[in-house]
Amino acid sequence: MEFFKKTLDPVIALSAIAVLDIFLFLTVGAWTVGGGETMMTGLIAKFFLGDTIDRIPFWHEVFKPDAGYWKIYISLGMLFGAIVGAVASKEFFWRFPKRFSEWIMITIGGLLMGIGIRLAFVCNVSTFFGLTPELNLGGYLAISGILAGAWFGSLIYKRVLEGG
Amino acid sequence: MSALAECLVAFVFGSVVGLLVQRSRFCNTAALRDAMLFKTFRNTKALLVAMMILTIGFTGFISIGAGNPMRFDVGINQILGLFLFGTGMVLAGACTVSTWVKAGEGNFGAIWALIFTFVGMFLFSLIWSYIYWPPAPSAMTGELSLERLQFGFSNAETLQEKTGIPAIFFGIIQAVVLYGLYRAIKRREATSAATS
Repeated sequence: MEFFKKTLDPVIALSAIAVLDIFLFLTVGAWTVGGGETMMTGLIAKFFLGDTIDRIPFWHEVFKPDAGYWKIYISLGMLFGAIVGAVASKEFFWRFPKRFSEWIMITIGGLLMGIGIRLAFVCNVSTFFGLTPELNLGGYLAISGILAGAWFGSLIYKRVLEGG
Repeated sequence: MSALAECLVAFVFGSVVGLLVQRSRFCNTAALRDAMLFKTFRNTKALLVAMMILTIGFTGFISIGAGNPMRFDVGINQILGLFLFGTGMVLAGACTVSTWVKAGEGNFGAIWALIFTFVGMFLFSLIWSYIYWPPAPSAMTGELSLERLQFGFSNAETLQEKTGIPAIFFGIIQAVVLYGLYRAIKRREATSAATS
């Protein structure tokens, strides 16, 4: 099948996603990822900590772990769709970061993303594909933050690239 | 709509997104990082086009009272949080979407980033439980609160209510600005292609 042989133009792909996101906005709410990831974090924490998690106020005042939270299934769907695409196009194979510096950058990067999402109540997806198109003030604040952050991260990335 | 139906709709939507992102190699991190570092705009153009479509779609439906816009107070925490997030996504080489998509391609670095995103979220839940900031949804007032560094709530709906002008009008203005950015990138690419 041609679809799995050629790389799709990202403008076409994102246009299709935008149209689908409008349908999602009409049915449940705009595309977001951070909320689902937070709920997954709560469910994982509850699995390991049991009722101890009830003693952490965040997990009953902000996010109460609930496996029926629809945003979780967007992320699981993305994983499923990506596996289907990668397997069908013969692009699935295990790959690991090679250098120690990559492991460090990914670890710090992951931590910063998690802390940042929870501090802001939004992720990059809800910034660009939800809040800003809804003309929400939070979208413009978030865009100014992510642009400054990406610029700062790029400086570090460039330095590591040049050093490596 | 039942909770089960909501989860099903979300899964189908996510599956199509995962497939399209995997086949197109779209990456939000690259849309910002590559534009800043390498002056290449393949992903930036796609991001701008999607935002134009969404702006017209969302504000159009908001104008007639349809849709489910996000409603929560915003403040300094959006700037600080997304600053940390933006730095983190460039270091990790993936954003929230591409971590899931690259994980689906067998990229262990993306799985590692995802694990530490969860760890970061849990760490912040501990910090929040100590400082209680930003305010929990139940403590949000929708109003400006300087002592809590919150600006309240404002979106296309509130603009329409306050001005009496349909939200789509403001949406069109934003879409024109986004189109201006898109055109500037296309012109820059055309100039670069002509000189190289």
